[in-house]
Amino acid sequence: MATATSTAVAVARRPPALGDAIGRWLDREAVFSWLMMALPLVFLFALVGYPFVYGVWLSLEDRPVAQPGVFVGLGNFIADAHDPVFWQVARNTFIYTGVATVLKMVGGLALALVINQSFRAKNLVRAALLLPFIVPTVLSTVAWMWILDPAFSVLNWILVHAGMARPGPSWLGNPSLAMASIIVINTWRGLPFYAITILAGLQTIPLDLYEAATIDGAGSWARFRHITLPLLKPVILIVTVFSIIFTFADFQLVYVLTHGGPANATQLFATYAFDIAMTGGQLGRGASVALAMLPILGLMIIALTAYMRRRE
Amino acid sequence: MRLSRQSSTSASRRTFLKTAAAGAAASLVGVPRGHAAAKSLTLLHESSFIKNYDAYFAKTLAPAYEKLTGVKVNYELASVGSLQTRVTTIAETGRGADLTLNFFNWPFLYDEKYLDVSDIAEAVGKQQGGWYDAAKEAVVVNGKWKAIPFGNTGQLMNWRTDWFKEVGFEKFPDTWDELLEAGTKLKAKGHPFGFELGHGFGDNHGWIYPLLWSYGGHEVEPDGKTIVLDSDETARAVDFARKFFQQTMLEDVLGWTDVSNNKAWLSEQISCTNNAESILYVAKRDFPEIGKVTDQAMNPKGPKGRFHLLNSWSHSIFTSTPDHEAAKAFLRWLCDKPQLSAWYASAETYYQPFLHGYDDAPMWKVEPRNLPYRDALATAHLPGWPAPVSRAQSEVIAKYVVIDMFAKACAGASTKDVIASAVTQLKQIYGQG
Repeated sequence: MATATSTAVAVARRPPALGDAIGRWLDREAVFSWLMMALPLVFLFALVGYPFVYGVWLSLEDRPVAQPGVFVGLGNFIADAHDPVFWQVARNTFIYTGVATVLKMVGGLALALVINQSFRAKNLVRAALLLPFIVPTVLSTVAWMWILDPAFSVLNWILVHAGMARPGPSWLGNPSLAMASIIVINTWRGLPFYAITILAGLQTIPLDLYEAATIDGAGSWARFRHITLPLLKPVILIVTVFSIIFTFADFQLVYVLTHGGPANATQLFATYAFDIAMTGGQLGRGASVALAMLPILGLMIIALTAYMRRRE
Repeated sequence: MRLSRQSSTSASRRTFLKTAAAGAAASLVGVPRGHAAAKSLTLLHESSFIKNYDAYFAKTLAPAYEKLTGVKVNYELASVGSLQTRVTTIAETGRGADLTLNFFNWPFLYDEKYLDVSDIAEAVGKQQGGWYDAAKEAVVVNGKWKAIPFGNTGQLMNWRTDWFKEVGFEKFPDTWDELLEAGTKLKAKGHPFGFELGHGFGDNHGWIYPLLWSYGGHEVEPDGKTIVLDSDETARAVDFARKFFQQTMLEDVLGWTDVSNNKAWLSEQISCTNNAESILYVAKRDFPEIGKVTDQAMNPKGPKGRFHLLNSWSHSIFTSTPDHEAAKAFLRWLCDKPQLSAWYASAETYYQPFLHGYDDAPMWKVEPRNLPYRDALATAHLPGWPAPVSRAQSEVIAKYVVIDMFAKACAGASTKDVIASAVTQLKQIYGQG
């Protein structure tokens, strides 16, 4: 009886040969690491890759909403090229992205240098700096809507009471001021991203480099130019590439504040594509507008990366 | 010790992989639909400006239908401005709500994804006094009713009676020229007009298209092909709009969206605008002194008559709904007089019924100042009229071609240039460029 029991226990305890082999196979680092990456890769493909490929496919079709599409090759892109508003939108998007990126880069660097200094309530200031970035864009845009409102604008109140304007400027009614306004708001919102990222980069620069330079007689400008800037370049490159992509594809700010008006003066690729695809029901045309600048944007990013690498 | 740790790590890795695989499989298989056919239905709507209207459906109509039939009706609300994205998603994927609210020309856009509800429309029309012609313009596609018209959120003139009286106007001006005269005087007294010329959804179309039509201009002929925007009539309408803007308005209207004129009205910045009933509704509720001196009127007449914007609301059934008959039965019940009249009344007259049976309904006696919205239905049309609804026409609206033609002229561009630019866009959209 006892023998029979111990035999049964021994059999039960012995793992099946196949399971053991699978277990050992899974324990291999190469296998396990790929398995760990498999799920993120599936998600990446499902949430980024598939929509992107589908978007490219849509842009090659005459595809009215709720109807099957007909392959038209580059027909939608050719139609875009003949659309006068498309070129206005392209110009707007480049101005918006270019100016806002430069302002964010310069402002973010300056801000990072300031908050990298030691001063009282330093951590509180750093945390507060993130507020524009944390607040949902739609909410902060509504706040800006009030700031730029002709009747309730705090800016206009100051200008009128200081005797500098009467009445105050029409921030969103004048085409140039409307573009300037959305650039300022985008800069306000994106500055913390730059500042905090550059601050992180600043804190990785060894202090002994500055000490050595100071002993050698370098002034603050020389230290900035020959130590800070070169060592920050990789960080600036990455944050700039991200910023260009985010700014280029900006949607919420313009959609809530001006919806592309007045007369398309603030219309960007994302808002124009949305209007054509959703309101107009032309999914193919909308996709083509959204994708039209992809090659140029891609080339710009490659060129910027190559330039920064060459300078290193 | 080492072996033991390794074994523990292996076990946890395997557990993790099993769990992850199970999760991934579950997500791929998908969660089954929350309701079985004929047990429940979902009606997709946009949050109404009139809170009582949504509450009446959710708390009274839906429970009443469930009590009567056992079918639960979910009232799913989309935030303002996001309904079309939701409808597009359902039409594209075939998953989601069973019925939906439509605006403007959506029954045409989503035609193939909506059931033919002609039988319900005919029965409801027969029962409740017949349909306004305007109702059919937005829902009848190739001879079939693809939606049951509900109501119009008309866009009419809102004016300050006290300030108009100060410049000699006891009644609202009957023509655009008289309105220009009143506006010129009012702006000089510090009470400018404020008519949206930016990229909103309704308050810009609400006066621009009627102005164009009242001068005899339109984009495309009824054949749906011949572009006729470049005409003397259009030029006269554009010239008038420029003068109207320069002599009566704030510059800011060029960048206004739909909320802007409501804010300007309630802060007493403007003396006249084009809007739905919401201005008077909010003024009476929150600013009673302004409410007392707010009145509403039909759009002024031009050389070719008086026109209004058709801002149609209607209800459709998705073809993807599992039980077509259950959805039709619900829509039929909803449009039956006891339910429909009570739902209309819950919003006072914010949604003006498309059925003649309501022309003298008690709801119109609640606020007589709303009566012009009823009378405007006879001359209301969709943007793009008199051309039939088409995809090209939807693109024209989406690209603000007509709105921007007027806005650019008001900002200073020449009439010839703005018309030429709009015609170029129209030709390109209609495939003639």
